[in-house]
Amino acid sequence: MLKMTDVSKIYRTDTVETHALREFSLTVDEGEFVSVTGPSGSGKTTFLNIAGLLEEMTSGTYELDGRDISKLNDRERSRVRNEKIGFIFQSFNLIPELNIFDNVDVPLRYRGLNAAERKRRIEESLDMVGLASRLKHQPAQLSGGQQQRVAIARALAGEPRFLLADEPTGNLDTHMADSVLDLLSEINSNGVTIIMVTHELTLADRAKRNIFVRDGQVTDAAPEFLRAANG
Amino acid sequence: MEFGPIWRALLKNKGGAILIALQIAVTMAIMVNSISIMQERATNMQRPSGMDEANTLTFASISFASDADNRATYINDLEMLRNTPGVINAVGTNSFPLRGGGWSMGLQTEPGEDMGGVGSAIYFGDEHMIETFGVELIDGENFSPEQVVFLDPDNFRWEPYVIVTEALAKTLFPDEEGSVVGKTAYINQNDPVQIIGVIDQLQAPWQGWDEVEHALFSPVKRAEGFARYVVRTEPGMRDELLPQLEEMLASADKTRLIRAAQTFDEVREGAYLGDSAMIKILGFVITLLTIITGLGIVGLASFNVSRRTRQIGIRRALGATKPAIMRYFMLENFMISSVGVVVGGALAIGLNIFMVETFNLTPMSWWVVPAAMIVLWLVGQAAVAGPARRATRIAPSIATRSG
Repeated sequence: MLKMTDVSKIYRTDTVETHALREFSLTVDEGEFVSVTGPSGSGKTTFLNIAGLLEEMTSGTYELDGRDISKLNDRERSRVRNEKIGFIFQSFNLIPELNIFDNVDVPLRYRGLNAAERKRRIEESLDMVGLASRLKHQPAQLSGGQQQRVAIARALAGEPRFLLADEPTGNLDTHMADSVLDLLSEINSNGVTIIMVTHELTLADRAKRNIFVRDGQVTDAAPEFLRAANG
Repeated sequence: MEFGPIWRALLKNKGGAILIALQIAVTMAIMVNSISIMQERATNMQRPSGMDEANTLTFASISFASDADNRATYINDLEMLRNTPGVINAVGTNSFPLRGGGWSMGLQTEPGEDMGGVGSAIYFGDEHMIETFGVELIDGENFSPEQVVFLDPDNFRWEPYVIVTEALAKTLFPDEEGSVVGKTAYINQNDPVQIIGVIDQLQAPWQGWDEVEHALFSPVKRAEGFARYVVRTEPGMRDELLPQLEEMLASADKTRLIRAAQTFDEVREGAYLGDSAMIKILGFVITLLTIITGLGIVGLASFNVSRRTRQIGIRRALGATKPAIMRYFMLENFMISSVGVVVGGALAIGLNIFMVETFNLTPMSWWVVPAAMIVLWLVGQAAVAGPARRATRIAPSIATRSG
């Protein structure tokens, strides 16, 4: 499904070179629920950006669904993001000017689906996250947990092959966080591959496999300091 | 197309959009009516005066001697002018088209007061008028030398023969299908004048007059202290002859001054100086307003791009291509501009109706409103293109940054 080999990412300024990822290698099989954990600055978000085709890597190879991603141009990368990947962000990233229906509709329009098909998918995905009755609500009228559910519905509406979740419960209280994680588990049980980036080991334990990142590289197990930080 | 979501999003942040739409509407109203005024002025400027303008020149003779024999000078001047090689003909007259000053009288078909006269410019001159002015006699005949008299300022009376323009003839006798030659009109309410000839076209001296095509020749020679001469030259000789003739007349009689020596091109330029300036000023105003509107659109679009940086990143992350981001801003501007030009179209029509009724302007041409709409749409699209292109450069990774 996802195979990264010796991926590195270097951010350069005039005077400084920052190695965000160093020879990062990871394979995720179809249907897995993988958590990626690490301290701040470890390279989790850079990994997520590259995995989600939001950024280009400096070197290495990345295959998604058997396709070499490094050779794609901007338009093809946009299409892959739109058709294969669903994103769930820490701060929900709903568009505040659009109502719930229009927010879920955003990626579907970029895919060029007809209106009836889009409507069916929007209603189904919102129904799945329990917000079918809030179609005309504005994001600001919903709680944080509800907004994250809308974001999940937006990701699901595109019927992606895998979901990339960036600290999906970071802005939620414990109760809402559990609810969102339950939802992710349910989605995974339906065959969708999920990669969840988080710094909380307790949340990472909800995944079927845990990957630990430190200094831009995958490590074998969670470092002690991370366990200590998480209590 | 994302008309629905864009429209609903606009309604959430409508302040800036309404201001820009209003700016476009006001620009449109001013642009349309300015174009209409410019068009009217330009059309007026292009009307033919009826004269052979390319080969005509004029000057005035002003005598300052108290014992001058003005009649002898007048006769001598015209004889010299007509005998100069390169001169086709010359005439002494009181005025000519586009001069801005002259005589006008009312003509009527029945004598008496309150008979509803038709206004007409009066050009005094002799039998050389038709050839000198370069007009065509289309009916009747020219004055005979015997019909022409010198004006007696102490005992003025209207001579009984006139030659009229075709436009004046048609206004005076609207039901006459045949010739008007031989018909009698009344000038100064009760003085009968017989129409002996009809010329094709000649304007009055006042180009802004409603009845500018109404003019007549009266067979009178004015040999007073002030005489105005019109000279028609062979093609290509005008500019060369102007200083020569001026010098010739000045040398022939040292007791007078030759002034206002002009080609007819200069006469026309002077006559339409105000219209020409008005066209330039309105053109400048339209250009300035359009630029200001364009800059307003650039400002709003730039602000929107900055305000929506994160949103653009999210859209990119969700699969929007760069052209899709570009299209979003272009479409948004198109919708704002559409509201502006529709409101502006209504404003423009309302303002035009008001101006037509109040200032007696010509109603605008049908195509001005749609043409202005297209121009403002294009200006809007051009103005938003820069900020929209900047928006396409926003990276999708913005979406994963906290904030």
